[in-house]
Amino acid sequence: MKTRTVLVVGGCLLMAYAVVGALTDTDLTPGGVLLFLAAVLVVHDVVWMAAVLAVGVALTRVPSRYRPTIRAAVITVAAVTVVGLPLALGFGRAADNTSVLPLPYGRNLVAVLLAVAATTLLVCVVRRRQAVRNPKDPPSGAR
Amino acid sequence: MVRHPDPPMTGRATVLRRLTRWCLAPLPAPPVTLRRGPLRPGVFRSRLRSTRLTGQLGVALGVAFAICFATGLLSHLIQHPPGWFWWPARPVGLYRFTQGLHVATGLASIPLLGAKLWSVYPRLFSWPPVRSIAHAAERASLGLLVAAALFLLVSGVLNISRWYAPMPFFFTAGHYWVAWLAVGGLLVHIGVHLPAVRAALVRPVGEPRQDGLNRRTLLGGVAAASGLVTLTTVGQTIRPLTGLAVLAPRHPDVGPQGLPVNRTAAGAGVRAAALDPAYRLRVTGEGRSVSLDLAALNRLPQYTAELPIACVEGWSATGTWTGVRLGDLVALVGADPRRSSAWVESLQVDGAYRACTVPPEHVGDPLTLVALRLGGEPLHLDHGYPARLIAPNRPGVLQTKWLSRITVAGTG
Repeated sequence: MKTRTVLVVGGCLLMAYAVVGALTDTDLTPGGVLLFLAAVLVVHDVVWMAAVLAVGVALTRVPSRYRPTIRAAVITVAAVTVVGLPLALGFGRAADNTSVLPLPYGRNLVAVLLAVAATTLLVCVVRRRQAVRNPKDPPSGAR
Repeated sequence: MVRHPDPPMTGRATVLRRLTRWCLAPLPAPPVTLRRGPLRPGVFRSRLRSTRLTGQLGVALGVAFAICFATGLLSHLIQHPPGWFWWPARPVGLYRFTQGLHVATGLASIPLLGAKLWSVYPRLFSWPPVRSIAHAAERASLGLLVAAALFLLVSGVLNISRWYAPMPFFFTAGHYWVAWLAVGGLLVHIGVHLPAVRAALVRPVGEPRQDGLNRRTLLGGVAAASGLVTLTTVGQTIRPLTGLAVLAPRHPDVGPQGLPVNRTAAGAGVRAAALDPAYRLRVTGEGRSVSLDLAALNRLPQYTAELPIACVEGWSATGTWTGVRLGDLVALVGADPRRSSAWVESLQVDGAYRACTVPPEHVGDPLTLVALRLGGEPLHLDHGYPARLIAPNRPGVLQTKWLSRITVAGTG
């Protein structure tokens, strides 16, 4: 109980330090930070999660033998896109600095996603062959 | 003799106990007719979610955030050193490692945070929404933690992509203070859920085989996503993986003289001043001062050092720099390099990084140079021509370019 009290009280003190620090930092507009905090929370909890749950429902229609593989692929595609999309959109490019975002990110992102798709397909084909060879094995995976 | 069942309490203890009771007192539940949509029972039916999965993702995410916070705080302290802080000049690539780790860990934790928030999403709609004042406070702090964690990862990704328009605040300051908010929220969260954290670290008892298999395959998927994100980006700082870094915002070989640039001469507004034949580097000590043109700098003993530019944005690249030792310039105005710090200023008129302090550990280090050449050629204008600072184990923003003035101060 003592450890938990220390953690909770210490955490509250650090949060208070963050608020006071942000309010007194002349480099910072606290309103902008607050707006961004609210925006990422709402976009994640409403828009992003709605999309994730829809994909999750679609995954339940995938035969259970392939489901873990497809699920891993979907998670990977989502993560790689979150990192790669801002680069592919290229708003950070600078006319006078060619060393900033120097690669063809749109093409590279598509190539990485295709590689993920190809690997997923390969694993699914192997799974299918295994299933044909050992028809008694119960299929893995769950909703 | 009869013992008193309750020992007499002091006034303060009574107030504390009353306050605790008030905070924990159950609040009336809202009318059941409001329990609609996702608030209804049984809406979220995935059998993949489990307390153990949430706990394990939480522990992994806690470790990732601890690494990011420690390395980020270190980078902040190096750039804004308080009086008690000390940062060595060796090992040469320590900052390159810590900041590379900061960005790589942040990127790798994106799928972790995504999976963790998915695993606890149904709890957002738990009924009743608020059970007591304490429960309401806990939920509010949890909301802040989630918002702060998302803020840190999203703003970090935007920063390395150099896309500042969606952020209505100064990135560095916002990222720094929200990191404190996240760590505070994380400590509260761990305090509230400590039994679950402990349970996540021990082998489960009585978990059905299929549930264990589901959990492990999901964790495997998250690990694969983290691994691929790392593999396609970390080559911006780890040399042997550069060929795989197809989604890295920088390529260590791309830039003028084969080295990336953060701020160009045109961007800093120093083109004319840097190319002016009347250029002089002024070194001022206590009571003595010298003014050196480029020819005079070239006549001083020249040294060559292999040193990295290690950017706060997580990329790094090594260059072969040649120039005058900063220590020699400090000695030129009669100061002891190992007991002096130097205030180094750029030709830049303004900007947060136009000047910096070089502490005695770096001034006295033989590898700290006022570089005039890169790879044997005179510096490219964007690399700081005519002269720039290059020192071991320092963030790129503190490797001041287009040097105009060095002010030496003794440290007693």
